[in-house]
Amino acid sequence: MSDFIGYLLTGLGIGAGYALVASGLVAIYRVTRVVNFAQGAFAVVAAMLTASLLGAGLPHGLAELAAVLTAALAGLLVGAVAIGRPGTTPGTSLIVTLGLAVFAYAVEIVIWGDQPRSFPGLPGVAVVGGARLQAHYLLILGVTVPVFVAMAAFFARTDLGKALSACASNPYAARVVGIDTRRMGLFAFALGGALGGLAGVLTTPVQQVTFDSDVTLIVNGLAAAVLGALTRPVVALAGGLLLGVAQTMIAGYGAGAYQLEVALVLMLTAMIVQAARRGAVPEMAR
Amino acid sequence: MNRRMLAALAVVTLALPPLLPERHLATYVLLGLAATVTAGVSMLMGYAGQVSLGQAAFYAIGGYAAGLLTVHGVPTVAGLLAAPVVAALAAVLLGAPLLRLRGHHLAFATLALQLILLSLLGQGDWAGGAIGLQGIPQLPVGGDLGYAYLIWVVLAVVLVICRNVVASRAGRGLRASATSEIAAAANGVAIARYRLAVFALSAAFAGLAGGIYAFYLGYLAPGSFPILLSIEFVVMAVVGGIGTIAGPVVGATVIVLLVQALNTLGTQPGMPGYAPSVLSYAVYALLLVATVLYLPRGIVPAVLDGARVRRGRPSIWGK
Amino acid sequence: MNAVEVTGLTVRYSGATALDGVDLHVGEGELVALIGPNGAGKSTLVKALSGLVRPAAGQVTVRGRLAQVPEGREMFGDLSVDDNLRLGGWRNGRHGRDTTEIYRLLPGLDGLRRNRAGLLSGGQQQMVAIGRALMARPDVLVVDELSLGLAPLVVTELVGHLRTLNAERGLAVLLIEQNARLALGLCRRAYVLEAGRVVLHGPAGDLARDPRVTAAYLGGDVTAEGPAR
Repeated sequence: MSDFIGYLLTGLGIGAGYALVASGLVAIYRVTRVVNFAQGAFAVVAAMLTASLLGAGLPHGLAELAAVLTAALAGLLVGAVAIGRPGTTPGTSLIVTLGLAVFAYAVEIVIWGDQPRSFPGLPGVAVVGGARLQAHYLLILGVTVPVFVAMAAFFARTDLGKALSACASNPYAARVVGIDTRRMGLFAFALGGALGGLAGVLTTPVQQVTFDSDVTLIVNGLAAAVLGALTRPVVALAGGLLLGVAQTMIAGYGAGAYQLEVALVLMLTAMIVQAARRGAVPEMAR
Repeated sequence: MNRRMLAALAVVTLALPPLLPERHLATYVLLGLAATVTAGVSMLMGYAGQVSLGQAAFYAIGGYAAGLLTVHGVPTVAGLLAAPVVAALAAVLLGAPLLRLRGHHLAFATLALQLILLSLLGQGDWAGGAIGLQGIPQLPVGGDLGYAYLIWVVLAVVLVICRNVVASRAGRGLRASATSEIAAAANGVAIARYRLAVFALSAAFAGLAGGIYAFYLGYLAPGSFPILLSIEFVVMAVVGGIGTIAGPVVGATVIVLLVQALNTLGTQPGMPGYAPSVLSYAVYALLLVATVLYLPRGIVPAVLDGARVRRGRPSIWGK
Repeated sequence: MNAVEVTGLTVRYSGATALDGVDLHVGEGELVALIGPNGAGKSTLVKALSGLVRPAAGQVTVRGRLAQVPEGREMFGDLSVDDNLRLGGWRNGRHGRDTTEIYRLLPGLDGLRRNRAGLLSGGQQQMVAIGRALMARPDVLVVDELSLGLAPLVVTELVGHLRTLNAERGLAVLLIEQNARLALGLCRRAYVLEAGRVVLHGPAGDLARDPRVTAAYLGGDVTAEGPAR
């Protein structure tokens, strides 16, 4: 039983990282209809930057904040290239973000090298319901949950949040009422960057990163996001947590090597079922 | 491209291998292999409207099929022939459910497939695990020069097949479906079958190239087929010009030669150890982004258009 | 001084000419109708007036502010009626989001504040679309296909609202309509747009009696009915 609780909490911590990546993907997709392949890179950049800043003597908190803000800036830059030119279709933008994800490799290796990086998180061991686990997992949850609550409030209560929802709901009408949909798209990219960055900053103390960790992150994040058809943040949150728990349980009770497959098969199944249900929507053609 | 130019190109590329030093002969072979895989990717993207981010999976399947069979005593020629067949079969089995997906869904699904395959190969003792498959016999083609000519013939055949597919009724239907989903919907069942056929054919190209690669190198490992390789094929297809016959060859040539040159530059004394990989990542990325944003149809159509205007053939401004 | 002044407006989409030298004006506080068949360029004109397409030639001058009730109503379907209205005041900034006035002008919306706009009836949505446009505090309202797909009774109510807004607030209205009878009945002046050109214009009453208009847009009804009355 205590094993189970341990795996559950660890899994929720890992899943929170996926959920943050996923919600970044959703934020960007809803407003721009672009699937951002560079989403994992934001996490990697923020994680590596945090390691550097902590190494340079910056205190915890400040280093993480600076890294998340840098990731937001990276998001803005990716958005500017991906949707900056008028008339760029979502399909083209996807390829652009793919290119930028590869470009991020070059930048990351030049700055941080190609070796794994990590940094210490919240020290100590927590005991919950008889299960012992690194206290940092609780910190991950303790940050992620309020962030999701704040996001929900942001979209539901603020004018900017509503304008973003308006772009997602009906881009043409948004332009009619005078909302600059391109600027909103860029804002969404910055938000996605911050969320991806937060995922990297939070999970790196328990899972070290290398420059190409973004593939794992994007695959898991996308698997979570796809469950909600890339448009529903709450489903993305639930999907991310579920994925984290399922993977940790599988690793804990045996077949440790097949963690990524769980995410991949889940993603494939969800997509195929969705496609079968609505009869293959032509995404690229839109 | 006219006939005379094509013949000249054939003569030059056929005359080249014996003149190349060994190091460049390897580049010639790898370029040919890349162009063969890219021809399939380009056909998928241009005529079936599908982006595959996992084409290296079929390259790997072909390679492993040929490698495993011959390691276990099957004659090399049979192993080589099995490579495209196994890859195409895998594509048919996987394509039936996957090709219901469109756009970014399909792109990610193909990526997922490759990740699953890599993980299975890495964990499967039958495939040599992460260390890989050693001691794959050579093809009886008489050394590197023989491989160069073998891949020349293979690429030529693949390009002729592409040309015929494009000109066929199925090809025209697919082209319509890639640009207009209404046309696709109007002829749904047939289009779905064509799509699967093109998917399988492109997998066969990749599988065949993978088979030759296995014999040429003599060993295989999951690490030989990273996701980045799949992205590389997409870059080559996009840069050369999606849906053109010459595009894959031009794209592969540009990228392979550029990466080769940068590699040489990156391994110069005084350059940091990471220079070669950084330079190649940057080049893939910048070429891909610049091409889709500023030259969306790729190099080949752009050059052909340019040539037409210069020669005073009918342009959109009349005259 | 005119609220809207359009001179020589030409709009092309990748070579095809959608509008070809259109001259049109709407006076301050005036009700003007624009009628024409499908594909005449009416929607392009609306987009040009709202600055959503760039003209190839000609000029659009708007005095004051112009707001649009788009064809098909274009709700923010996932959002509440109240949010739809508030977003209509986007251009006015933080202080432009007060919806009290709109609920007073369109009392039918009051009970629907929290409803999701996408789930409303067509008539209710059209009311939201009008309210949303009014949130911009316009001097000119461009209404694109007011009656499309709506029951006659609902249309009558909506027309009543437009009349009141025009009479009490001096709001100028450019009504773009397929239903020529409705448009010519409501407005004082009208234009007929065909194949991207203004082919007829004048007082609405004159146009309603013009045989070319009656034949093409009123199904010959006016002349048929005329003698009988």
